[in-house]
Amino acid sequence: MKVLARTRSAATRQALADAAAAIGAELVHAGPETGDLSRDAVRAGASVIFLELRDTEDVARQRQAAREVGAALVLGCHSPEACRAAALAEPDEWILLPASPHEIGMRLVNGERRVRTAAGRRSEAEAAAFVRYRELLHDAATGLPTLPVLIPRVREWLEAGDELMLRYLHFVWLERIEDVYGPEKLDEVIGTVAEAVREFFQGKETGEHVLTLDHAGDEDFILITRARAATAPGEAAVSALSHEIERLVHQRIAERHGRELASLAGLYIGTASLRRDPGIRLERLIYRAIRKAARAALDVGERERERKAERLRTMLREGAVHMEYHPIVVTQTQNVYGYEALARGEYPDLRSPELVFQIAQEANLIWEVGRLLRRLAIEGIRDRLAPDQFLFLNVDPYDFEDPTFRELGPRDLGVVDPRRIVLEITERVAITDYPRFQEHLAAFRQLGFRLAVDDAGSGYAGLGSIANLAPDYIKLDISLISDIDSNFLKQNLVETMVSFAEGQGAQVVAEGVERPEELETIRQLGVHLAQGFLFKHLEEDERAAA
Amino acid sequence: MAAPRILVVDDDPDALDIVQAYLESRGYDVATAADGTEALARLEEVRPDLVLLDVMMPGIDGWEVARTIKNHPEFGDTRVVMLTARSDFTDKQRGLRAGADDYIVKPMRLEDLGRKVERNLEASRRSA
Repeated sequence: MKVLARTRSAATRQALADAAAAIGAELVHAGPETGDLSRDAVRAGASVIFLELRDTEDVARQRQAAREVGAALVLGCHSPEACRAAALAEPDEWILLPASPHEIGMRLVNGERRVRTAAGRRSEAEAAAFVRYRELLHDAATGLPTLPVLIPRVREWLEAGDELMLRYLHFVWLERIEDVYGPEKLDEVIGTVAEAVREFFQGKETGEHVLTLDHAGDEDFILITRARAATAPGEAAVSALSHEIERLVHQRIAERHGRELASLAGLYIGTASLRRDPGIRLERLIYRAIRKAARAALDVGERERERKAERLRTMLREGAVHMEYHPIVVTQTQNVYGYEALARGEYPDLRSPELVFQIAQEANLIWEVGRLLRRLAIEGIRDRLAPDQFLFLNVDPYDFEDPTFRELGPRDLGVVDPRRIVLEITERVAITDYPRFQEHLAAFRQLGFRLAVDDAGSGYAGLGSIANLAPDYIKLDISLISDIDSNFLKQNLVETMVSFAEGQGAQVVAEGVERPEELETIRQLGVHLAQGFLFKHLEEDERAAA
Repeated sequence: MAAPRILVVDDDPDALDIVQAYLESRGYDVATAADGTEALARLEEVRPDLVLLDVMMPGIDGWEVARTIKNHPEFGDTRVVMLTARSDFTDKQRGLRAGADDYIVKPMRLEDLGRKVERNLEASRRSA
């Protein structure tokens, strides 16, 4: 191999010489002012051109020229940005300088080989077109085929004279997952749901079946089963089946994504039967059946929502909620800095805070839930909170719209000093009207309340929106903390958050600390406060006092 | 002790070649895959200790591959290191959600890559 090189620094020249020696290449130097290297490459019989970039380099022109003479172009650049810019011109290799002779040698060899084998890669465009085509016909999250793909199968079954059962699986509250955890999480969960549904029917029914989504990207499923001599199942049978599917779906979501998410997914099933009718076009027949089954599923869903809202009203009336107080600990001293009050519904079906929030929102009970929880949270601990400890109270942006919340004062707080209360904002709903929200916050700050932002770093509450709120505390989500002692990506993210917080004059609280190694790691990264299972022995419970 | 096994996944064959050559020169046992589907298909056969995963690939992208590996009942403990062109906060958050253990920003020096690979293998040995 012969390399024509134009270098700018002695260090690069030396490294290049060592590299050439190591790979047995002959090295020819071009003058530092040489513009068109390709001509020199032809004259010298070089198959590789190495170019240490100047600021004014016309990389595209060099690329073009090298290609015309069939030489490999290897670029050396002095910053990642320069490399990225140079990469746009598609050189055969680039090297981030300074680099070791070992690396330079490898990249020279690779660049030359690339030119030699370039001809063999014509079919890449075809492959990409095929992938695009396949993606159009399948849902991205689940890999399920879209309905048009399935129509030939369904046609075949109908023409054989079979009756088909169409089930519409309507999931409610999945959209909460998107609100709280982001669209990617919902896609994952839908993927899990699809697998669970498939698993269920594979184990269950002898007939053949196909599964699709109502719309690609949507969360409602359509299952068409081929059932010979089918008899329409009664409502009781459908409802029993729904419960069985729901159980399996919940189990799978809980295994993969945790209990909290599982409790959010409610499932309602509507059915319709499908029989051949020569007078009606097949597609129309199918779409009609889908609409019918969907309506039935939505009706059941509606009834169920009303029932749950009624349960919630009863729970509020009876105050069937108890409070837990999770300690927040200073990482350096392990002293208890304060407590976060967490509500636990006493009705088993309303235990999940996410679910309660969802039902409350639909039933217009958000403010009432908030009022009850704040009252209980303060009452439960106010006699035991040391004068230098803080009470972290969860509030939603919604709560700030509640006129009685804005009057949160001595009447609710009793002896607790507002300066000991930290309002912890969970961005369950995106804050849309920032100026207005800021106004509300300012009023609370005036009274001495402090402010924390919850779940930072996990969801899509970006740093920008955190900066907007100018909180006193930034709480890092458990997903950032678990196993942080062995995960370098998490360490890097937490480091970023800590320096960001310090720039803002805020303190960082790590949530979900479970092991001493995690505590040690976050302490070293400069995290000020921590909470989690590791400190369970310091927990307070309103019932413990009673 | 057998050499640690690394699965390198990148749709750019040249990037793949040079990383493979470099890691092999460091004594690792290296397998490659040209896209996400192939990577997942080869997991069973290769049983890597560490997967080096390019983010930008056609079809199933690197995040998706990482997620699948990390959710896998059998391969969930495999170290996953992302190769990414961006390293801003949002991009790292995506890595976090996908379950990645570390990341390397492209363009990178091969020596830096080697160091990151080494420290991740070290960490996985410690936590095993």
